[in-house]
Amino acid sequence: MQRGYWIRSKPLYDSLVWQTPAVAHLVVAGGEGGIAVLKLFQQMYPKEPIQVLYADLPTAKKNYSDILQQIVLEELDICDSEESLLANLEQRLKDCTMGTHFYVAGSEAFMWQVLQKTRAAGVQDVDVQKELCGTLARPVYCVHCKTITRDVHHNVFPCSNCGRHLFVRDHFSRRLGAYMGVMVDAEEPGNIPQIEEVYP
Amino acid sequence: MSILNVKVADVEQVTDMVKHFTLVQENGQPLPRFSGGSHVVVSMNINGRIHRNPYSLMGSPENTDSYHISVRRQENSRGGSVFMHDGVEVGSTLQITYPVNLFSLSKLGKKHILVAGGIGITPFMSQIADLNRLGDDYEMHYAFRSAEHGAFVEQLQQMCGDRLHLHIESEGQRINFHNLLSNQPLGTHIYVCGPEPMVNALLLTAKDLGWPKTHVHSEQFLAPPIGDSFRVQLVKSNMEIEVPGDMSMLEAMEEAGLEPDFLCRGGACGRCEVEVLECDGALMHNDHYLSDAEKASGNKIMPCVSRARCQKLLLNI
Ligand code: FES
Repeated sequence: MQRGYWIRSKPLYDSLVWQTPAVAHLVVAGGEGGIAVLKLFQQMYPKEPIQVLYADLPTAKKNYSDILQQIVLEELDICDSEESLLANLEQRLKDCTMGTHFYVAGSEAFMWQVLQKTRAAGVQDVDVQKELCGTLARPVYCVHCKTITRDVHHNVFPCSNCGRHLFVRDHFSRRLGAYMGVMVDAEEPGNIPQIEEVYP
Repeated sequence: MSILNVKVADVEQVTDMVKHFTLVQENGQPLPRFSGGSHVVVSMNINGRIHRNPYSLMGSPENTDSYHISVRRQENSRGGSVFMHDGVEVGSTLQITYPVNLFSLSKLGKKHILVAGGIGITPFMSQIADLNRLGDDYEMHYAFRSAEHGAFVEQLQQMCGDRLHLHIESEGQRINFHNLLSNQPLGTHIYVCGPEPMVNALLLTAKDLGWPKTHVHSEQFLAPPIGDSFRVQLVKSNMEIEVPGDMSMLEAMEEAGLEPDFLCRGGACGRCEVEVLECDGALMHNDHYLSDAEKASGNKIMPCVSRARCQKLLLNI
């Protein structure tokens, strides 16, 4: 991780804010992303229809499902896994029309899974509001065996598929929804720098 | 900027006001390929003075034997269109720039809605050729004043079939933008080219209905407005020039032998931007490129369409 280093491909995340004018709003969150939804619902509500999709993931530190059920009086769907949320989202996107605004919150890996679906429906990533919640863990793509390891917390880690020690770069691929990981000891096998938890 | 020498191979009077020109390369070579929505800038020598006007390429981008442009006669303008109508005939030679596309179709689009007013139909003719080839979903909405002003309607009917929707004003048919923009599927992109009030109305409706800017595309090339003459000091070139009332600043610089950058010559692309070092009066910004804040700050100007009313104007060029 480079300090104060800016790279064009590195995505920026914001706080969710209702976007108006709009014809509808679709909010998608997973795990700790629940807190971003609660913050959103503390803002003045837009008058257009709102749908909330929440995936209750084991990474959530609070029981957001229960709180959301009390707070969100609009259409709320609680899913018990990321997969079921993504399948649900895919269905809903078919009925959405232009003018619907999209909001996504959760870990980076979760958000980019959601963005794959919205993108496939013709929504551009820049037009989706994104809030990173709970963790800085990164999804990392092994450039050698082409596997993505999710929730990487350390600067160097063993690839979940090929076992190579990968250094996590800041270079991010939107298409893959992951940072690039390159073998750290390619030149001098076994020479692995100090491993630190830089993405808690 | 690289130039193509072309010869007029055919001229067709399409409506009372519109002529269609077929251009081929003078040396008989094929012309460069282009993408739907591109334009070229045509240079015309009118009584010793060079005029340059942008025109959309209308033919199929597949066809590199010839380029097709159409010109609407604008009586009260600075003469470019009148020259094209009265002074250009089969066999005339012209110089054009390589095609540039400032109005391209979004590759991410799932559906494309094309909206044209009057002569604004021209950029869509090449876009439709692209859309047909790609098999993409689209609708073409074409508004014009009355039946005799509907240029290229037959050709469009052949190209678009039932995707073509005509809106003839004299028959009380106006495009209802609110209906058009409501309930469109996600991934729809809209493109508009036509008179300013129409373009503005559509942009406003899209905004009101929550369409993201990334899905709304417009092309509006302005003709440089006529104004009072003024003097400009060009600091880097170390000269002082006079901008006559019927010339743009860009044209006056070209006349003085400079070669400033440009793409659209209509205040849309930003390519001609120059820095204003000093101005003791008012800048008259006529472009669509600078934001209101940038216009107010007075540090930049688009010499292709903007003017000034002042005693002293210093530009960093
Ligand atoms: S040339 Fe495009 S804004 Fe001036």
